[in-house]
Amino acid sequence: MSEQKIKDEINKILSSPTDGTVTVLSCLLLVQDEIGYIPDEAVEEIASFLKTSINEVWGVATFYTNFRFTPPCKNILEVCWGPTCHLKGAPDLISGFLDKLNLEEEGDSKDKDVSVRYNTCLGACQQAPVISINHSLRGNVKVSEISNIIDFVAD
Amino acid sequence: MVVRDTKVKLKIDGIEVEADPGQNVLQAALDAGLYIPYLCYYPGMKSFGACRMCLVKVEQPGPDGVMKPLPGAPASCTTPVAEGMVVTTNLKETKDLRKGIMELLISEHPHGCLTCHRIDLCGPSDICLRHVSVNDRCVTCPKNERCELKDTVRYMEMDLDTPLTYNNRNLPLEVKDPLWDMDMNLCIVCGRCVRICSEIRGDNALTFISRSGRSLIGTSNGGSLLESGCEFCGACIDVCPTGALVEKDFKWDKPSKIVKSICPHCPVGCELKMEIDKKNRLIRSVGNLEGPANKGQLCFRGKFGLNFVNDNNRITKPLIRVNGELVETTFKNAISVVANNLNKYSGKEFAALISPTATNEDAYVLQKFTRLIMGSNNIDVSSNVVPEITDEIFRMTGIPGSSSSIWDLEHSKSIMIVSSNLTEKQNVLGVPIKKAIDNGAKLVVIDQRETELTRFAAKWLKPKYGTELHLIAGMIKVILDEVLDDHDFIEQYTLGIQDLKKSLWSFDIINVSNISGVSVEDIREAARIIGNDSPAGILYALELLPSQLRAECTKALVNLALVTGSLGRDSGGIFPLFDGANEQGIKDVGCSNTFLPGYRLISDNSSINYFQDVWGSNLNNSSGIPLGQFNREVFSGQIKALMTIGENATLINGNDSEFKESIAKLDFFVTTDYSNNEITSLADVIFPAAVFSEKSGTFTNIEKRIQFIRPGMTSKDEVSEDWYTLIQIAKAMGSSKFEYKSSEEIFSDISNEVSMYSDISYDLLDKEGIVWTPNSWSELFSDKKSENSTNNQDILLKFDPINFTDDIEVITSKEFPYLLVQGRVLFDEELSNVKLENGRYKSQTNPVFDLHPEDASKLGIVEGQTIEVISQENKIQGIVGLKSTQPGVVSHKSMFGDLINQLQISKNFQVSKNTDLNLVPISIKKL
Repeated sequence: MSEQKIKDEINKILSSPTDGTVTVLSCLLLVQDEIGYIPDEAVEEIASFLKTSINEVWGVATFYTNFRFTPPCKNILEVCWGPTCHLKGAPDLISGFLDKLNLEEEGDSKDKDVSVRYNTCLGACQQAPVISINHSLRGNVKVSEISNIIDFVAD
Repeated sequence: MVVRDTKVKLKIDGIEVEADPGQNVLQAALDAGLYIPYLCYYPGMKSFGACRMCLVKVEQPGPDGVMKPLPGAPASCTTPVAEGMVVTTNLKETKDLRKGIMELLISEHPHGCLTCHRIDLCGPSDICLRHVSVNDRCVTCPKNERCELKDTVRYMEMDLDTPLTYNNRNLPLEVKDPLWDMDMNLCIVCGRCVRICSEIRGDNALTFISRSGRSLIGTSNGGSLLESGCEFCGACIDVCPTGALVEKDFKWDKPSKIVKSICPHCPVGCELKMEIDKKNRLIRSVGNLEGPANKGQLCFRGKFGLNFVNDNNRITKPLIRVNGELVETTFKNAISVVANNLNKYSGKEFAALISPTATNEDAYVLQKFTRLIMGSNNIDVSSNVVPEITDEIFRMTGIPGSSSSIWDLEHSKSIMIVSSNLTEKQNVLGVPIKKAIDNGAKLVVIDQRETELTRFAAKWLKPKYGTELHLIAGMIKVILDEVLDDHDFIEQYTLGIQDLKKSLWSFDIINVSNISGVSVEDIREAARIIGNDSPAGILYALELLPSQLRAECTKALVNLALVTGSLGRDSGGIFPLFDGANEQGIKDVGCSNTFLPGYRLISDNSSINYFQDVWGSNLNNSSGIPLGQFNREVFSGQIKALMTIGENATLINGNDSEFKESIAKLDFFVTTDYSNNEITSLADVIFPAAVFSEKSGTFTNIEKRIQFIRPGMTSKDEVSEDWYTLIQIAKAMGSSKFEYKSSEEIFSDISNEVSMYSDISYDLLDKEGIVWTPNSWSELFSDKKSENSTNNQDILLKFDPINFTDDIEVITSKEFPYLLVQGRVLFDEELSNVKLENGRYKSQTNPVFDLHPEDASKLGIVEGQTIEVISQENKIQGIVGLKSTQPGVVSHKSMFGDLINQLQISKNFQVSKNTDLNLVPISIKKL
């Protein structure tokens, strides 16, 4: 997308009717929900939309680890590392997924197919360990399934 | 000032302390001279409670009167004082808590300077050998020996014998910005810099990035400060308790003494602490928190633009012209040459100009010299090129300058700025204005260009060139029609409202709207802001106005201030924005072609007689030539000899090239200056002049505050203060009326002869600057008016009907049909094209010239096309934009940073000469 196009898009998003209080955070969330990340232009547009400074927006955006500043990969894989999942074997799952995708830490795979993110709780503890693939949950995941899951996602 | 008479009594460590209600415990303790360690708190800013260094134990009487401890250990900076409170700061328990937190803090801060066993053994120039690894050595920190963190840690007497495991952040040093370096490895994230930038300066150029353990200070997306809206005031450096933010210049140098003085760059009169090193160099300046005019704030000129005093090319010996060449000579010889030459001239043949950076003492001696010895009244201050903006206030209200104090603006309910780029020219004035806006005041800006403050404006009116007078008169009309005027004020303090009303009787708002191009609704709304929310602060420079409109426009603004009752209150007021640092004081002591010291008219016989008595000699009683006509009188041969005093005393804002031509015509030209420039190259005699950091004397700032400037540096060779040079010349010419041994003796003469300065002495000024008020005002606004004064119509403030002139000088011509208006902003996305060049940020911007769409289509120009803009003297290429506010006006914006680039290039005193932002007639060529 060209810079102008992104700007127009963001302005459209920002001026869409919203309920409740409009804050820097609510604007950032809107943008991230719509285009999946916070581009540079969004910081500037939100600042001028709310008559505040770019630094203020940037400060809020970097405070929350859920905001990302680069386009996300095609698929988003979230691995729960909450206490229940942890006890039921999440650490092995995490290292398994990371090995499979050649990653050291949570992040994007080199081929930009899968973004791996840790999640504090996916809210399905009775099925721990839980993962979410593109926002759909999958429970009782076993280490042996990792290869299949990745191959399935990457297709 | 809000007077608080009820004090709260509390006990801190067994000592009875009195505090203002609303103060916090830490402030109360510090005010009482008791120290509690703190890092994130900073005087003048809101408490933050982040560093937890100021933890204390507090007991407070409950509703039943029984003492109850507050839970835990509250931070004293966020605990408000209460009657009967008992605070204990030095319990072992709280001390241990503080120590624990400090240990965590310095676990991320290099602390060789704290743990090294040689801290107290090393001399100042000892070479560090091997006790501490290179990165952590005390000598590798720019704040070594002046670090607040180190002082705090050492005060806490921590047991640091065993080195803590210390985690070096290993972040690269940020050296890309032009004026300072940032070392995030030393940052303790106290947030002082972020808070001063948003809370005090209103710029938000810095922010906290990320959170928890990784949190640091930075700008949006790691961009340059140029892009982030920085105004380069350096406030963040002044408040930094560690070496994380430091000035680039003299980064490693330590002061051998610190001397308070006043910044010589603009009339705000910021008090600064000059840090002078052993080599007699001014290495740093820091705003003085106790400074009444600036409250610790400086601008880029006061913070980074004082290096000229260290110039190696300073003139240090007198020079005289022999056979067309300037040659060095002795002081004595130069004096006798000047005396012999000046003896040939008298009366109107002689003229004197003084630089606005001269002290009151210099100015007083110069005017006495000019009047007494030369018998001339041709004397003026070189920055006084728009005298109307103060003269008219004086005529109508009896006050020759601003009506209120700078910090009264902070409490104003509304503020109006007319044609002035004040955040650049009188930067620190912007601080109380932004604060007032933060507190809910509304800002009205009347200006054709975008300036830094327009982004804060509730209403930004953009009248056509030359229609400002109609617009302001229209606002007065609306205020009178809608009965928003301050009736009581008008009744009690003013005279002539009926005349003003009559003059506006047939005045029609719709007509005003047609003439000015501002909609009726906008005019009404702006008028309602000023009318409803009075007292209003009215500030004006009238830079972009046609010269013949300035006097009437000033009249209109004074009328507006009177109608809204904005004068003589503890908020609001009227502020003419002139440029010269000490222009006010220099006029006060009589450097004027029409006024003797103390604004006594020359044409008034009693004034002449008074000074003839005091000085014991006959005086010339005809007014001198106004500054604007100096050039013409030189060309016509009327003025034959000229003396200029102080650095580069040329016509600031005036036509420089014409001035230079006229100087060449003079028979005799003597000047004092600190460095060579185009004017000194034309001189017959040059005396080396002292700069502000070498002088002792007084400045009077824009709020009429007389302040002390103190010598921090010693003068080299034959460099002397201007008054000294002048009295030597006077003595050589045979006068015995100049027996001054020090500037203090001169000041005592000033306080005897200038009524506003009476009862003021150096001893009093040494404590704090004093604001003078004219006697008529003290009488008028005093609570207990005598019978006589209510009947005394002379002291009442006078309305003056506005005269409209249709005869506006058209500065555009067939050849140059467009007006170029220049503005500056802090941040603009389109302009913020900042690139790295040799590891430094540079703003690389093609100038954008905004045309009005109508003009563009007439010329057949489209957006983005390259054009050439041609003025009489210059040609610039740029890209076309279509955002001009009016047909016929081409606006050009540049980022604040552009000036910074210039500042870097200029080795000389260029910074002090305000770059003009006036209107320029231009033509446009397609390329």
